[in-house]
Amino acid sequence: MEKKFGVYICKGCGIGEAIDLEKLRKRVALKGKVPADIIKEHQVLCSPEGLEFIKNDIKEGTNTLILGACSPRVKTNEFDFPGTITERVNLREFVAWTQEPMSAEAQSLADDYMVMGIIKTQKGDLPEPSIQPDLSNAILVVGGGTAGLSAALEAANAGYQVTLVEKEAELGGWGAKLYKETPRQHPFDKLEDPKVFARIKEVEAHQNIKVFKSSVIEKTDGQPGLLDVTIRKNGNSETIKVGSVVMATGWKPYDPSKLEYLGYGKPNVITNVQMEEMAKKGKITRPSDGKEAKKVAFIQCAGSRDANHLPYCSAFCCATSLKQAKYVREKSDDAIAMIFYKDIRTPGQTELFYKNMQNDPGVLLTKAEVTGISDAGNGNLFVEADNTLLGEKIKVEADLVVLATGIVPSTRAPQEYLDGLTEAGKKGDVAKKEYLDNTPKPEFILNLAYKQGPEIPTLEGAYGFADSGFICFQYETRRTGVYAAGCVKQPMTMADATEDAAGAALKAIQCVEHVAKGIAVHPRAWDTTFPDPMMIKCTSCKRCTEECPFSAIEEDAKGTPFYKLNRCRRCGTCMGACPERIVSFKDFSVDMVGSMIKSIEVDEDEFRIIVLACENDAYPALDSAAIKRIKLNPKVRIIPVRCLGSMNLVWVSDAFSRGIDGLILLGCKYGENYQCHFVKGSELANYRFSKVKETLDKLQLESDRCQLLQVAINEYDKLPQMIDDFVTRVEEIGPNPFKEF
Amino acid sequence: MADATVVKPDLDFVKGVIASGGDSLKKCYQCATCTVVCNVTPDKNPFPRKEMLWAQWGLKEKFQGNPDVWLCHQCNDCSAYCPRGAKPGEVLGAIRKQTIKQYSAPGALVDIVNKKALMPLIFIIPAVLLAVLLSAAGTFKIHDGDVIFSKFASTHFLQFVFTPALLFGVAVGVMGMRKFWADMKQTNKVYSGDLNASVMATLKDIVGHKKFKQCDVSSDRFVSHFLVFYGFVAAAIATAIGVLYIDILGMESPFSLGYGTPVKIFGNIGAIGIIVGIILMMSNRFKNAEKLGEGSYFDWLLLSIIAIVGISGFLAQLLRVAGVAPIAYPVYFIHLVFVFSLFIYLPFSKLAHMFYRGAAICFNKYSGREAQTQ
Repeated sequence: MEKKFGVYICKGCGIGEAIDLEKLRKRVALKGKVPADIIKEHQVLCSPEGLEFIKNDIKEGTNTLILGACSPRVKTNEFDFPGTITERVNLREFVAWTQEPMSAEAQSLADDYMVMGIIKTQKGDLPEPSIQPDLSNAILVVGGGTAGLSAALEAANAGYQVTLVEKEAELGGWGAKLYKETPRQHPFDKLEDPKVFARIKEVEAHQNIKVFKSSVIEKTDGQPGLLDVTIRKNGNSETIKVGSVVMATGWKPYDPSKLEYLGYGKPNVITNVQMEEMAKKGKITRPSDGKEAKKVAFIQCAGSRDANHLPYCSAFCCATSLKQAKYVREKSDDAIAMIFYKDIRTPGQTELFYKNMQNDPGVLLTKAEVTGISDAGNGNLFVEADNTLLGEKIKVEADLVVLATGIVPSTRAPQEYLDGLTEAGKKGDVAKKEYLDNTPKPEFILNLAYKQGPEIPTLEGAYGFADSGFICFQYETRRTGVYAAGCVKQPMTMADATEDAAGAALKAIQCVEHVAKGIAVHPRAWDTTFPDPMMIKCTSCKRCTEECPFSAIEEDAKGTPFYKLNRCRRCGTCMGACPERIVSFKDFSVDMVGSMIKSIEVDEDEFRIIVLACENDAYPALDSAAIKRIKLNPKVRIIPVRCLGSMNLVWVSDAFSRGIDGLILLGCKYGENYQCHFVKGSELANYRFSKVKETLDKLQLESDRCQLLQVAINEYDKLPQMIDDFVTRVEEIGPNPFKEF
Repeated sequence: MADATVVKPDLDFVKGVIASGGDSLKKCYQCATCTVVCNVTPDKNPFPRKEMLWAQWGLKEKFQGNPDVWLCHQCNDCSAYCPRGAKPGEVLGAIRKQTIKQYSAPGALVDIVNKKALMPLIFIIPAVLLAVLLSAAGTFKIHDGDVIFSKFASTHFLQFVFTPALLFGVAVGVMGMRKFWADMKQTNKVYSGDLNASVMATLKDIVGHKKFKQCDVSSDRFVSHFLVFYGFVAAAIATAIGVLYIDILGMESPFSLGYGTPVKIFGNIGAIGIIVGIILMMSNRFKNAEKLGEGSYFDWLLLSIIAIVGISGFLAQLLRVAGVAPIAYPVYFIHLVFVFSLFIYLPFSKLAHMFYRGAAICFNKYSGREAQTQ
């Protein structure tokens, strides 16, 4: 595209009062090497008149626009000019609202930002979406329990073809194994019949749904829109093509044999699952002698919220035990149900059911730490508890003890197995072979034919659940196009799983629709650019295939990487990883950012600090600080990046060789409570950074000149101070010695 | 776990508490707001939170010889602040009734004053008894001439019938109180203390109505209880003077001494005190019903009996002076019937609190627990 430039500066929102626009024009024309007459001003650029002003130029052929106005995060509808390259320079938030008006610093900042904007457009190009041929928009649902059935119905009712795969002979999952369900209707005092059967009927009769029962997935290959899924049923395999997947494979009960300390193994100690089976059969009796149970003790959090077992809350057990207490009470009015809990957790309307149950004279509740179960003779048991509300250690006799065991996600076993395999692999081939020979292989779910492994990868702090970033993106897994719903994602009740399934189905639909348009699925759901490597320079080092958070890059037979583009989320981690710097996007490349860094004016007497800010959390936090009119240090120049994972080390040398005094990488928090939109970008940046420090030390440049700061989106109030502190430290170190060269 | 207490939930006890006015019992979720706001609880092992849990779990042995439930005089500060509407005040009242049943023998009489269906028995038994006895004496009729109640029921008759009734009530109450005292000593492992000083201090508390002043929400109960209490004291003094006149000075009723005499002064002050006090008690209950509970049947029964005793007595006097014989004698009969039930059911009705609460307050001083109260 032949570029015809137009530079527009808005005078609204205080910009005109903060910056000497006459000086700015001269500077921009000189440094940006553009004719002064294409630099125009307007009172309010986002007003109808202002927009008309720009559109008139577009009609006359201007196709590359640099708008010096507000943050690119706002007014996105107004400043949307299809068919143009539009670069928004944040004069309002980063200059007018955060600097001393008409000061030399403000002027210098505005100059630098405008010039960087021009350089970015000079280096960039107009993107064109990459749309793969023969896409499928069908949706695969794995798992036919409450979540799976609901997801299938939601997607099918929205008009998409659905294939439902269930490994058991019948649909329904745990919901079909219950005697009764907890009440979901006012006044929350009557147990309800399981609802799942009606849903099974609906699914089996739905014209858009094809059901595979007693079936498992042998292999999943390809990429969103083009997934080839091989389903094995009764020894026969069949391959179907789908666009995206809802994974609703649910949970397994925690292994009660690990709960010997709570008496499991004694005949009259059962789990909540066994209690459900018993209630369904009819009477509630003691397994030891078949006598009707009249004093039933429920022990909550049996193996849950316990560092030695499952550290998390399994969400449904409190309501389930209250429900089972009602079984006990409804079968006999002189029976008592005693519930020993850590906390009763019955969120939402379930609280009303809890209150109703609490009001039953025969339901006895106490907070307690159950320390053991001992024999009380005649098959009866003593529940021994400490820290009770009674204020003393107590022993209560029961004729039946029910352990409220929690849930283990179906993804956990494969994850543990694969992590073990990776660990063994690190120790060498012998250890790996030994591991493979001696470790029983669990049931895999998706069997992805992906470079980075056959299952949803382990996420620190997710305890084996197929979770993603639980703050912003509930349904996404780290495999684009695979959306988790129900208890495989996190512990939840059936009512919650039903709603959750609708969300996951919507994400699956979003995926096939975006793939059809050739835009990123999420979170950059507008992005038509894509990584475009100059393969001729690739050395097959495979760093990109290792570091890609989404396993979007595969290797061919010769070991040369290639993209499965629909898996890509456009974070640019590959761009940051590549030592040959061959990966670029139409509006984001190593050269582009490097040139922007190099364009920054460096005065011998002035300190200059560059902030490479993650667009997802750090940049909005800076904007928020500006909205609050908190002063930003005038010595820093902020350059947004897609993700800190896209940070290429060459930018560090670009900066320091030009005499920049310090560099901040501003990214998301990582670790257990990570918030990174791209899972591990800031963590990767930190890892790469550790390498850069060695290099800097060798150059006798103080490695303290570089720092990675982790910031959450809501920490805008602390952020300006964090930057100030860093600038002070750099000033203490002194100016960059390379300034003179 | 050798040091663990074996607890034995008793569902019938739970149901009993719920049935006798503690129907909000199970709502308690143990936040302990009640204990924090209570002005009469000691700081160590305070109530009523723990009592709520014991009652929820049906741990009736915990209430054996438990003075705490009697230290509460149901000012209802706790119920006013309870975030869940569990009304600890009402629940403790219901628990106290269970204690009365436990200690006042025969416990079956407690059931009569506690079951609405049996209410007629409370009045029919004394009414029939008195009617039979008065008929036997030949005075059970409306007499001609000036209204003179001793024509209807002679002073000797009254002494002969009412003194044993009162003695029975007091004796049962005292026996129950002794059992309760022994249990309190055993449960709390308190075997020694200054009994005389404790009794004196307790009497002082009662005379001054000290405990009532400690409460916030229903401090007006001080006035009503004070009036009823001293109303009865005045009535008792009047009765004592009457006994003095008849048995020692050998005077015959009716005493032609006029309204300036001590009998009439104490009698009328007592009657007015009882009537005004009881009306205040009732109106307080209506006023606070929503937050503090309407009070149990047990509670209302006693209020009603006292109200009828006071009003019928005063009314009988007015009718006597007015000379309306056809109404005066029946009203007097009603008065006698209710006084009789008051005496007979003394240790079984809510009035039994005078024994058990008195003992608990005394024990609290005796054991040194009261010293822990701020």
